Amino acid sequence: MSALLEVSGVSVSFDGFKAINNLSFSIGQPEMRAVIGPNGAGKTTFMDIITGKTRPDVGQVLWGEENRSLLKMSEAQIARAGIGRKFQRPTVFEDQSVRDNLRVALKKPRGPFAALTDRVTDADRARIDEIAEEIGLAAHLDRQAGILSHGQKQWLEIGMLLAQDPRLLLVDEPAAGMTTEERTHTTELLRRVAETRAVVVVEHDMDFVRKLNCRVTVLHEGSVLSEGTLDHVMADDRVIEVYLGR
Amino acid sequence: MLGITILSEAYGTGAISISFTKVLGMTLCLCLAALAMDLVWGYCGILSLGHFAFFGIGGYMIGMWLMTARTEAVVRANLANRIIPPTEAEISEATALQIFSVVGAEDWPWMWAVSDSLFLSLLLVVLVPGVLALVFGWLAFRSRVTGVYLSILTQAMTLALSLYLFQNDTGLRGNNGLSGLQNIPGSTAGQAKLSIWFFWASAAALGLAYVFAAWLVSGKFGNIVRAIRDDEPRVRFLGYPVEAYKLAVFVITAIMCGIGGALFYPQAGIINPDQIAPIASIYLAVWVAIGGRGRLYGAVIGAAVVSLLSSYFTGGRAPDVNLGFYRIQWIDWWPVLLGLGFVLVTLFAPKGLGGLVDLIVRRKEP
Repeated sequence: MSALLEVSGVSVSFDGFKAINNLSFSIGQPEMRAVIGPNGAGKTTFMDIITGKTRPDVGQVLWGEENRSLLKMSEAQIARAGIGRKFQRPTVFEDQSVRDNLRVALKKPRGPFAALTDRVTDADRARIDEIAEEIGLAAHLDRQAGILSHGQKQWLEIGMLLAQDPRLLLVDEPAAGMTTEERTHTTELLRRVAETRAVVVVEHDMDFVRKLNCRVTVLHEGSVLSEGTLDHVMADDRVIEVYLGR
Repeated sequence: MLGITILSEAYGTGAISISFTKVLGMTLCLCLAALAMDLVWGYCGILSLGHFAFFGIGGYMIGMWLMTARTEAVVRANLANRIIPPTEAEISEATALQIFSVVGAEDWPWMWAVSDSLFLSLLLVVLVPGVLALVFGWLAFRSRVTGVYLSILTQAMTLALSLYLFQNDTGLRGNNGLSGLQNIPGSTAGQAKLSIWFFWASAAALGLAYVFAAWLVSGKFGNIVRAIRDDEPRVRFLGYPVEAYKLAVFVITAIMCGIGGALFYPQAGIINPDQIAPIASIYLAVWVAIGGRGRLYGAVIGAAVVSLLSSYFTGGRAPDVNLGFYRIQWIDWWPVLLGLGFVLVTLFAPKGLGGLVDLIVRRKEP
């Protein structure tokens, strides 16, 4: 399994504070990976670097079979290359219906002219219905996204991520604010998605990570502290010291 | 619309004067500019405080043709009785002298190169605002200038343009501006008929622009543009080239303003650099805010109501209010009233006048 994303030797500092320090990371396709770490470990900055929001001071980020560097691409280009991101706070377009949110996310040409002439084809409609079914919002397709509950907004954002049809999904705290059943459903969904794609889940909740049943990368002070199965990293003395607290 | 025609001097009873017909026609042009402002601000979230510059440019572009053609006709008539018929070069020289002597010049400035062609001048009405918006927008959006910084930049643009035009030697007659635009060359129709024709033309332009704008925001393009307004970074992470969308909206609305201006100034009769002073663009934003941004009819209502009230209060027809100790003269107090209205709408009715429609709809279907 060759790597889909390869981050090597990346560092970035903000006003002298090293948010990411010589971090290396790689993930293949298909694969599920959980990234954990205490607050300020650099989890969000790590995602910002991959998605092009933050430029690292040194290091390389290579993508896909041709090993293209992501560092020269804009956020939009990186997204079009096949990297989708779900934010920590659910960010959906509250002013618009669930259907329109999914329609905007749907994988289609992204230019202004394409958008002007866009028609919802039968295939589009079927795909939107399918995703809505998957995220449990089939009955709410024509409601405003703004009046959905917090959990439903999380779902909608995951649905938008699916609609983008990315090869790599970066998912920041997908289970925050969800009920137990919703969490179970999220776990199932993510595991199903990870059968064909690469999924990186950033999460605080250890129970949730355990249910994902995947390799775990522990970040601390901007670099990788430990990597392996959950049981392996939990047994690591350094991890116990900084993260689980002793 | 028909009512106005029936009541007009040229085609009906004459209950509505020529000047009032012109006010109505001009109001429709302002509504067109407000519609553009609503697209760029209400839908796309770009608070441009420079769109009236594009309106003014549209006026200047058509104004150059109007003035050239009209002056040339006058010059030809004057020289017609001479024993030796004048050459074309002499007519051109005499026309230039007539137009530019007021700023102490007698040659055609380069800007007037195509002012003898109606077709090319009409092309410029669309091209000049479009290209200016394209260059300005490309520079600004590419550098990710947003929010209040972009607003300041657009104010600077319209101020710079206005100051540039105020200079006598820039070719557009400095602070004299272009005048006599109400006389349409080659037409003997007279102002009574012309005013009605322009009224209809303005109404048609507004109608077409409204349909176009409604089409623009109804499909996926509209979804994306509103999404950019609400959460620009999110749209970027969906893979959309946000700058291209903003640029498209900026250019389209600039062209709409240019067309509005090209219809407005022949009715106003005169255009000068004062018209594109920064305050004019701010008024445009105020109209849209009062009318209700983010809905097309809101912008049209806002512009119509506020600009008609404005011409009522500042036109000297509103009676003074005598408070005994103080006389309220509306010419002085109208800006205060407008400012208060703006603040009150912003604080208590952020949806503006358009929000009233929501109230009515909600009442009908409880």
